[in-house]
Amino acid sequence: MSNVSIIIGREFNERVRKKSFIITTLLMPVLMLALMVAPALIMQFSGGDEKRIAVIDESGRIAPLLTDDDELRFETTDLPADAARKVLTDRFAILCIGGDILDNPSNVKLYVNGSSSLTVESNIEKQIEKIIEEEKLRSYDIENLQQILDDVKTSVTVQTFRNDKSQEEDSQAQSSLVAMGLGYILGFVLYMFLLIYGAMVMQSVIEEKNSRVLEVMVSSVRPFDLMLGKILGVASVAVVQILVWGILVVGVGGVVLPHLMPEEVMAGAQAMQQGIPDAAASVDMNPEVMQAVAAITDLGYVVKIFACLVLFLLGGYLLYSAMFAAVGSAVDNVQDAQQLQLPITIPVILALLMMLAVIKDPNSQLAFWFSLVPFTSPVVMMARIPYDIPMWEILLSLALLYATFIGMVWLAAKIYRVGIFMYGKKPTFKELAKWIRYKY
Amino acid sequence: MDLLTVKHVTKQYAGHKALDDVSLSIPQGSVYGLLGPNGAGKTTLIRIINRITAPDSGQVFLGDREIAPEDIRRIGYLPEERGLYKKMKVGEQAVFFARLKGLSRRDAIARLKVWFRKFGIEGWWDKKVEELSKGMAQKIQFIVTVLHEPELLIFDEPFSGFDPINANLLKEEILALRDKGATIIFSTHNMSSVEEICDHISLINKSQNILSGNVDEIRRRHGSNLFEVQFRGEEEPLRERLAGRCEILESPESESAYRSLRLRVGQDADIRAVIAATNEAVELRSFREIIPSMNDIFIRAVNGTL
Repeated sequence: MSNVSIIIGREFNERVRKKSFIITTLLMPVLMLALMVAPALIMQFSGGDEKRIAVIDESGRIAPLLTDDDELRFETTDLPADAARKVLTDRFAILCIGGDILDNPSNVKLYVNGSSSLTVESNIEKQIEKIIEEEKLRSYDIENLQQILDDVKTSVTVQTFRNDKSQEEDSQAQSSLVAMGLGYILGFVLYMFLLIYGAMVMQSVIEEKNSRVLEVMVSSVRPFDLMLGKILGVASVAVVQILVWGILVVGVGGVVLPHLMPEEVMAGAQAMQQGIPDAAASVDMNPEVMQAVAAITDLGYVVKIFACLVLFLLGGYLLYSAMFAAVGSAVDNVQDAQQLQLPITIPVILALLMMLAVIKDPNSQLAFWFSLVPFTSPVVMMARIPYDIPMWEILLSLALLYATFIGMVWLAAKIYRVGIFMYGKKPTFKELAKWIRYKY
Repeated sequence: MDLLTVKHVTKQYAGHKALDDVSLSIPQGSVYGLLGPNGAGKTTLIRIINRITAPDSGQVFLGDREIAPEDIRRIGYLPEERGLYKKMKVGEQAVFFARLKGLSRRDAIARLKVWFRKFGIEGWWDKKVEELSKGMAQKIQFIVTVLHEPELLIFDEPFSGFDPINANLLKEEILALRDKGATIIFSTHNMSSVEEICDHISLINKSQNILSGNVDEIRRRHGSNLFEVQFRGEEEPLRERLAGRCEILESPESESAYRSLRLRVGQDADIRAVIAATNEAVELRSFREIIPSMNDIFIRAVNGTL
């Protein structure tokens, strides 16, 4: 058994057996889910505190038509404005509507006891606008007005298809919104993995250097094997983690979700997967939602994205962790690493920023080039992949990424080899460059 | 026969020369002391022997051929700075290091059990290293170093951090390893341990090998022809008898029941005649040469007064 595999084994076992690994692996999906659901829940519950608004309507035409909702309760009062403002201080606000409101729609005043809120203001504005509009419409005395209005009301949703692909048999309605959401999540997952696992490698190198384990190790293992073993060992942990998550997603998406969804939604989603959008359209359901369901329950699509995720994750991780390992070998503690980390963190952050731009326009020149440049390609390309981009681009990007990784490992190994025996002084970039040229 | 030969090794670091044309040969089956003050270049030399770094010029031979990467498995190295994974369990960690040295998992466990029993530490197997004291961790480190039974063992300050009882235990194990055929390089500042266990030494100072050879021979060679005589009787007749034959020095306060004097004898003087003369003057109890300790030789060599 080679030394590299023994080291990989140790790194893997030490990490996977940790309680923190087991907990994060199992809890992360729950946490992510919570993160997505939480805002909706908060919105649901935050309406809890009711705001009472006293209404003084001099026109007498608005107040009866104001409707209460979860947040606001309108109470008409007979007090004159001045008196109301003095007496009704326990109300959230006092709303004064002028007598000439129909002709002068700006004659509405809201006296707030405390600070105002944008949602309250816009709620009141919308209600009054609607009431006045209806009042005005009614004044034209049109017959069957309500019927006409109902008939006029329209909502358009565009269903997008790939024309260049739909000639082939597997045509599938594809929503930009779904792709964008998915791309965003994937790009972000990659970004997090690069940083978290890269930093893990760095930390572990620093620890080995500090505890002088390295001194013992290098007498039996080549430093290059040591570094490679560590990088691959941590990589194997990352792969296991992503596999567990992948299985959870595929399991929930492909197996559990179809049983949970209402039957007609599934029928529609299946129709969409099979390229019969008309059948899908017959289901009375928001097409966007249906496309999302169709996408995440389509095993082929999920597996393809998942394969790309693993490949880019691994490539990106390998590239970055080699740099992290070099930095870790050069310093004595994590604090000293800050400055040397800059050339690593800047491209990662650049990649994240690029991803945000690229995701809106996945076929732009910017998107194309940044998804080929190895330092940004993992994050940027991953964000583009849900859009079904050409295979050759993916392959080229992967090839460049892995080639750069090999070059980077070679370079990092040179720094590593010198760095692990340097104690005390924090090296500068100039010194690191000198180390690369050291002869051993 | 020499197991390890270092030939004209030079190593330059940015700014200073760590080793300057150092040559030495280490006989098979010996305990070889590598002495020298801090920063003399000992660790660099050890790293070159271990193939951790390469010399700028010069060669290292193991047996009769130049040392090669696969040879590091024939070497066991206990560095001065001890390092173990703190979070790892003792047994697992020892197996890990043994496997890196080419032992199978089964062999490693079997041999470790023997060593653990020998050191009376069977109960430590499932303890984490961070739970152990420094001395305890040193024991583990020692076992890990010798476990794969290498031909060449390199110990850098092996006794630091040990109490006298454990240091003695360690010394016996080191000598036992030599008796089983291992060759041992022993880097230290502790001169009393050198006299006790080293057969040969090299003294490295300011990147150069300034003194090497057999310990006893070096000590004899650097004897300053000083003798101590212990006797019963009056001092005066002795002084008279010896006058002209040698220089008489006052003896340091002696705890002994006998009187004593120190004599400095000329390079070519006839020791037997001196002894005979002494014997005639007083009742001679002992007559011995004062051989300098390695400590004296070390200090004098480093200060350039040897």
